[in-house]
Amino acid sequence: MLKVRVGRHKWKLGVLVASALLAGVWSLKGQATRPDTNAIFSPAHGSISEAISHFFGYRPEPVQPIAFPHNVHVQDVELACMDCHISAARGPQASIPDIRTCWNCHATTATDRAEIQKMKGYFDKGQDIPWQRVWGWVEESHVRFNHAPHILAKVDCATCHGDVAQMTVATREIQHTMEFCVTCHKEKGASNDCVTCHY
Amino acid sequence: MDRRNFIKTTAAAGASATLAGCGNPETQLIRFIPEEPLFPGIATWKPSICPLCSAGCGLHVRVMDGEAEVVRNGEKGLLKMGLAKKLEGNPQHPISHGKLCARGQAGIQLTYHPDRIRQPLRRTGPRGSGPFQEISWDDAMADVLLRLNAIAAADQQKTLGFLTRRLRGQRNVLISTFLKEFGAPPATLFEVFSDDVLREANRQSFGFEQLPTFDLARSRYVLSFGADFLGTWNSPVAHSVAYGEMRQGRPGVRAKFVQVEPRMSQTGANADEWVPVKPGTEGILALGIAHVIFKANLRTPSAAGRAGDRIDGWNTGLQAYTPEAVEKRTGVATARIERLAREFADNSPAVAIIGGAPLAHTNGIFQALAVNALNALVGSVGEEGGLSFTPHPDTGTAQAGRRGLRELAAEILSSSSSPVQVLFLNDANPVFGTPPAWRVAEALAKVPYIVSFGSFLDETSLIADLILPDHSFLESWVDDVPESGTALSVASVAAPVMRPLHQTRSMPDVVLDIGRQLQRPVVLPWNNYEDMLKAAFAALADKSSNWDKILENGGWWSTASTGPSVNPARVTPAAATLQADPQFDGRAEDYPFHFLPYASQAFLDGSLAHLPWLQELPDVISTAMWSNWVEINPVTARDLGIAQGDAVEVRSVHGTIQAPALISPGIAPDVVAMPVGQGHATYTRYASGRGSNPVSILADLTEPVTGALAWAATRVGIRKLDNAAPTTPLIVFAGALREHEERHR
Amino acid sequence: MPHRWGMAVDLDRCTGCEACVVACHAENNIPTVGADEAARGRAKHWIRVERYWEGEFPDVRLKFRPVLCQQCDNAPCEPVCPTYASSHTSEGLNAQVYNRCIGTRYCANACSYDVRFFNFFNPVWEKPLHLQLNPDVSVREQGVMEKCTFCVQRINAGKIAAKAEGHEVRDGDISPACVQSCTANALVFGDLNDPDSAVSRLSRSPRGSKLLEDLGTEPKVTYLERDAWHDAGDPRRG
Repeated sequence: MLKVRVGRHKWKLGVLVASALLAGVWSLKGQATRPDTNAIFSPAHGSISEAISHFFGYRPEPVQPIAFPHNVHVQDVELACMDCHISAARGPQASIPDIRTCWNCHATTATDRAEIQKMKGYFDKGQDIPWQRVWGWVEESHVRFNHAPHILAKVDCATCHGDVAQMTVATREIQHTMEFCVTCHKEKGASNDCVTCHY
Repeated sequence: MDRRNFIKTTAAAGASATLAGCGNPETQLIRFIPEEPLFPGIATWKPSICPLCSAGCGLHVRVMDGEAEVVRNGEKGLLKMGLAKKLEGNPQHPISHGKLCARGQAGIQLTYHPDRIRQPLRRTGPRGSGPFQEISWDDAMADVLLRLNAIAAADQQKTLGFLTRRLRGQRNVLISTFLKEFGAPPATLFEVFSDDVLREANRQSFGFEQLPTFDLARSRYVLSFGADFLGTWNSPVAHSVAYGEMRQGRPGVRAKFVQVEPRMSQTGANADEWVPVKPGTEGILALGIAHVIFKANLRTPSAAGRAGDRIDGWNTGLQAYTPEAVEKRTGVATARIERLAREFADNSPAVAIIGGAPLAHTNGIFQALAVNALNALVGSVGEEGGLSFTPHPDTGTAQAGRRGLRELAAEILSSSSSPVQVLFLNDANPVFGTPPAWRVAEALAKVPYIVSFGSFLDETSLIADLILPDHSFLESWVDDVPESGTALSVASVAAPVMRPLHQTRSMPDVVLDIGRQLQRPVVLPWNNYEDMLKAAFAALADKSSNWDKILENGGWWSTASTGPSVNPARVTPAAATLQADPQFDGRAEDYPFHFLPYASQAFLDGSLAHLPWLQELPDVISTAMWSNWVEINPVTARDLGIAQGDAVEVRSVHGTIQAPALISPGIAPDVVAMPVGQGHATYTRYASGRGSNPVSILADLTEPVTGALAWAATRVGIRKLDNAAPTTPLIVFAGALREHEERHR
Repeated sequence: MPHRWGMAVDLDRCTGCEACVVACHAENNIPTVGADEAARGRAKHWIRVERYWEGEFPDVRLKFRPVLCQQCDNAPCEPVCPTYASSHTSEGLNAQVYNRCIGTRYCANACSYDVRFFNFFNPVWEKPLHLQLNPDVSVREQGVMEKCTFCVQRINAGKIAAKAEGHEVRDGDISPACVQSCTANALVFGDLNDPDSAVSRLSRSPRGSKLLEDLGTEPKVTYLERDAWHDAGDPRRG
């Protein structure tokens, strides 16, 4: 996979590697400041290190603010995926629930646990939990994924997301490479036109 | 700030928000708890109303969740909220029929404009110099109450002024009621391109003081005198929808459309026949056509009824308007006049339209009455395929005794102490939009205290002492009663489609609050504007529709046309003899050209020049972006040695401006034209200091019956500025494949 | 049968109002570039209204023609692309696949209609203007070619919605933004493989022709020329 990409983007890679060397190690630290207060929005890379990461499709493992146990909620509480990820069957995003969803139960449930108290801390300050996205693609891959048709086609959530019922915080056990998507589309007879996903 | 610098800085400082959330929360803005139910990624459509021109199109707004940067309790963070994403026409709405013009669609940028005023501002420097200080709403309300309490305590309530764009619906009722209860005179209305002349003519001819509605879809012959009805005038979306049907909507019938005007407008470009005419003589041509119709016994003068009675000589066959005489006055050939007359009379239903420049002459009323009579003559008034008047649901009464801005300014300037002590300013920019002879800026400088509800710092808001920024229309309760554009009775209303982005408040609610908090309170019977709308629509709607249903539809409208076409009871006695010939400012020897400013396709009267989409929209005639220009006939240009893009000076008795030349075959050799809209001294980063303002060289001529500005009555001279580049160059997108120059694309 | 998307443009209806141009900006996240870059020919308008003057004053006429990607069946832009970023889909669209594009600009040189636009720099939205961006469409970055997609996001959404509702895509279900906004209903979009669709019927009109047809590009956009005054229904006009 990597080999193909390098071949296609040879000149880009050369420029980037040279820039990275020139820029030195400091640039690899990534974004240092907290608030994103730029007056402009642009698809430009925030830093050289970010450009390099994106080029290789590398995305750091997310650091979740709260050690959310999917396994407890699925196995013990017997919640279904779409009880919290409410948009999955209706639209492109599955959606990450905001703190109000959690608060529905946890205003009164398991309030003594440390992680729940962390959550209460956010809630009392009027803040949402800063969940970090686990899945997705770098913007340059221009992938538009839509959950709804996959659920309509009865693709099981675990096909792409792994057995989340066994996980605490979600991790990327399955790599969402293009090969992964295309293989399944081929098997199911779904379109593999480029613009099915890239637009 | 300079756009180019923005672009340069992006490589280094680009805010890649695309994967925000992937990584570490410690390096991100905090996120606030959402304040509304959200279904991420799923679009919902909510009705609203376009406020950008007088048409009153119903909207469908696409709303999706997004993360906005907001401030809560002094802390900056991200808030997930429903955001307007796209404006389309409301498919059920009787005006917009699911369509929306370019300007309306760009209206979404009003809400998200980077230079929007985000919270109340108090002036700190000398007036007009710029410095303002952000203050809280409490402080702002205290400021304005102090001033109003002071004039009330001195029994000077009549020194409260309210200057606004023409208001409709419940906003009009609210402001009128507030001013009346406070003891102040009615609001002063101001629009650059006012339609008061046509309203007055329609009152005289037909008994309706309003703009006409045309049934173009069923018309067989359309004769338009200068009206840019497909572009910028009256109800362009409703007209365009019907125009499409007039052209190709009926098997076997495709109507003929004739446009009479000295400069080809976007509408004129669509005509089957384009008839250039000397400026200000459109009414004379109309009477020439009527003369031929009488002469050929196609109709008798009495067929025009009282619309004909308005015209001197009508009932005796318009002896002074023989085609030969009319040719001399208008420049339209005798044979053509005769042919147009026969076509117009033979192809009923036929309709004649007048609007825009022909009414902006000193003989504006005459011109409008002449065309009205022509319509009455061929029986197109109130008939299928003709013109009618939109029946209005009863939403309150108009006030008498209004003062025009011109009179108001003169009054202020001639008194030692200003007759206006506190002035409210709403959605009007008269400093930009009035001729210098009105001395509006000077008059406003004499007003001790000015409060603006503006969302942007324009030339007039800049001299305000206090700015109480209004919500955008997408953040507000909105309502409207369209003046024209449909045969149905329509009252539109809509709830906010999104929460306010900034610390702004809706103007009607602020006015209600002010009333309540005054020392001598003006308590109106509504808690807030939403209540007011609810009450008004409860009184209006029939039993089958309830408030929720009305909100879901975006308004209430009758299912069938209900209105009478002509109101005989309100017709006044015959007018005095009207001047048929136009007067012009400037001697023809010194100022050889008629000067025709026109509402630009993108910016109308300039109020939309701050929207970047409209700045970069190529004008359909010139293909120009981010510029303005002076249109010159090729023969004239050759004689004066002027080439496309050359800097040209345009000089009237009242001032001089410069603009790049646009050589255009669609303009008479003795006319030069300029779009209005650019030339703002101050109007956000996108419009400030760009191009020149043609209004700033206009003469103070008016139409005498209404006092409306005769903005097409100025004469000018032009010359090429040697060795000078235009201050704002002509930037063209290249209008056609064959004239495209390969540059950097 | 697979769909074959096409468009008909009735020039007799088109008023040159340019609602389509702004609709496209709003739908497709097209950035404004500012006066300086616009002066260098870098403004982006996936659809534009061309205007042609005919004759001289006073016998002068002006004709409008909205021009967008013609979605050619024999597209000159496709064979020249070294990375297959410009390629044909099974439904006849000329796809521009941004993630494959390396910015050679060969396609823009090859295109006969001047409808391809290169990102010479990263586009910029001055905040909070970016809140208007359509999340269903990519924001293209520096070095990438872009052009009209026939609003492929709307086509995809329309197909998904039809499937969810359990029916085939019906004529009129799917409209690109320009067609949706067209005030005079001059633009009509639909499936050319359906002989009864509105677009198929209009494409067969005797007033119809293709733009620069003789180049052999086989465009899927048909232009219906301006019509003349006729009034068969009026007995007074024989």
